[in-house]
Amino acid sequence: MSGGPAYATVYLTVEQAQALLFPGATFQPDTRTLTDEQAKAIAHASGVPVRNKQIKAWRVSTGGWFIVDEVVGKHEFIPFALALDDKGAVKGIEILEYREAYGGQIRDPEWRKQFLDATAGKKLQLDRNIRNISGATLSCKHLTDGVERLLVTYDLVLKKSS
Amino acid sequence: MTDRVCAVQLVDVHSWIRKTTIPRSVIAVIFCLGFGLMLPAHADEPLFGFTYTTDLLPKGKFELEQWSTTRFGKYPGGKFWLQENKTEEEYGMKDNLQLSLYQIYDSTSAFHNGPFGETTPPEQFSYYNPGPDDHFSGTKFIGVAGEAIYRLWSPYTRPIGIAFYEEPTFGAGFIENEAKLILQKNFRDDRLVLAANFTYAPEWRRIKDPVTGEVAIGEETDANIDLGVSYRFIRNWSAAFEIYNEREFNSYNFTHQSNSGYFLGPTIHYAGENFFVTVNYSQQMPWASLQVDTVPGGIVGGRIVDNDFEKHRVRVKFGWYF
Repeated sequence: MSGGPAYATVYLTVEQAQALLFPGATFQPDTRTLTDEQAKAIAHASGVPVRNKQIKAWRVSTGGWFIVDEVVGKHEFIPFALALDDKGAVKGIEILEYREAYGGQIRDPEWRKQFLDATAGKKLQLDRNIRNISGATLSCKHLTDGVERLLVTYDLVLKKSS
Repeated sequence: MTDRVCAVQLVDVHSWIRKTTIPRSVIAVIFCLGFGLMLPAHADEPLFGFTYTTDLLPKGKFELEQWSTTRFGKYPGGKFWLQENKTEEEYGMKDNLQLSLYQIYDSTSAFHNGPFGETTPPEQFSYYNPGPDDHFSGTKFIGVAGEAIYRLWSPYTRPIGIAFYEEPTFGAGFIENEAKLILQKNFRDDRLVLAANFTYAPEWRRIKDPVTGEVAIGEETDANIDLGVSYRFIRNWSAAFEIYNEREFNSYNFTHQSNSGYFLGPTIHYAGENFFVTVNYSQQMPWASLQVDTVPGGIVGGRIVDNDFEKHRVRVKFGWYF
C-alpha cells in the first residue's frame, strides 16, 4: 500500500523514541533486507505475514536492538518502535504516530507493559497472553502480531549477527 | 393525468432535479460531498453498499450516516426512477452492541414502467393506484426505523465474525421487521474481507384495491442473501464486489414466492479519520424465472420489473464520526 496520510498525530520521532527507550546510548544503523527464504521462515514461525522485507534496525551501544516498523491499522499504518535487550527480550514499545479515529488506546503504558520481557518463544497472541482493549481490537491485534513478527525476526536473523 | 403525492414538499430542488440532465446518482454524490465540506469530517464504516459487516462503533461513539439510493430502469421504453434517502444516527451502546435510528424519505417518478408497460408505483408508494397510462410522481416520508446490531464474535479475535441484526420499520400503512445474520471472515492483515448476510424481513402493508377501493393487509416477506468481498488496496481506499439475491414471498413462511432478482456490481470505499464515503453500482442480472406468484408480465428480458425491482441501483453512503 502507498499514498499519503490524510491525518497524522506524531507522538515521537525515531530519535526521541531511541532516547526514551535507551537513555544515553548511541545507535548504529543496521538495516537489513530479508531474503525470500527468511521472510517465509519468519511468517511460518510467527504466523504473521511479512509485508515489508526491509528491517529498519539499529544496534545499541549499551547492548540490544532498536527496530522501527509499522502495522496495518483500520485505515492507515501504525508506525512503532520496538526495543530489545541484549537477550532479545522486549524492553519497551513506543507508538510513533497514530492516524486513526479509534484505537489510540494502544498508547496506554499499562497495556504496552504486557509485552515487557517477551521473547520469540512466548508466542504473543491477542486474548491469549495479551489483553485486548475493547474498541481498539484491530489495533491491539495488529500491534501484537507486529511485535511477535519482530521477535521472530530477531531470533532468526538479527541474533545470528549480534 | 397526474397522480401527485407530496407529503414532504421540496418543490424547488425537486423540480430542478427532475428537469436537469445530470444523473441523479451524480447529484447525490455532489450533495454528500457538499455536506462533507461544510461539516467537520470524523467507524463502523460500511465497506459495501448492500452487504453488512460485523464491525461496530466502539462504546460511547456517535456516527451520522446519510444514505442515498437511486433505482432506475424498468420496462423498455418506459420511465422510472426512485430516490431512497435515509438519515441514520448510530451510537455504540457497548463495544458489541450498536443502536441506530433512521428517518426514511423517498421520491419517485414512474411512467409505463411496470408489467405490460403499465404505470406502476414502486413498493414504497404501492398504496396509490395510478392508471396504466398515468404519469406518477411523488415525494413521501416513508417512516422511521430502529436498528440494533449485536456482535457475538469479532473477526479480529475469533475464526469468523458473527453478528445479529434487527431493524423494525414503522411507516404510514406498513410495518416491517428485518432480521439479519451477518458473517465476516478476514484475511491478509484484515485488509481482505469476505462478508455474507442472510435476511428475513416480513412486512405488513395496507393495500387499496384499485377497483373496489377496499383496503386489505398484504402479507409479504423479503428473504435476501448478500455476499461481498472487499480489499483495501491502498491507504484509506477499499474496492469491493457484491452479489445479492432478493426474493419476495406473498406469505411469511416462504410459500407463494413472487420474485427472485439477482444483482451484482462494484463498490468503492474511502475512509478518513473522521468520515467515510461508499459508492456502489448494482445491476439486476437477467437470471429471473417465473415463480408461483409472479405477476403476469413481471419478467422482461430475464429481469423482474415488478414494483420492488429495477435494472440499476446506485447507492451512496456518507458518514461522519463524533
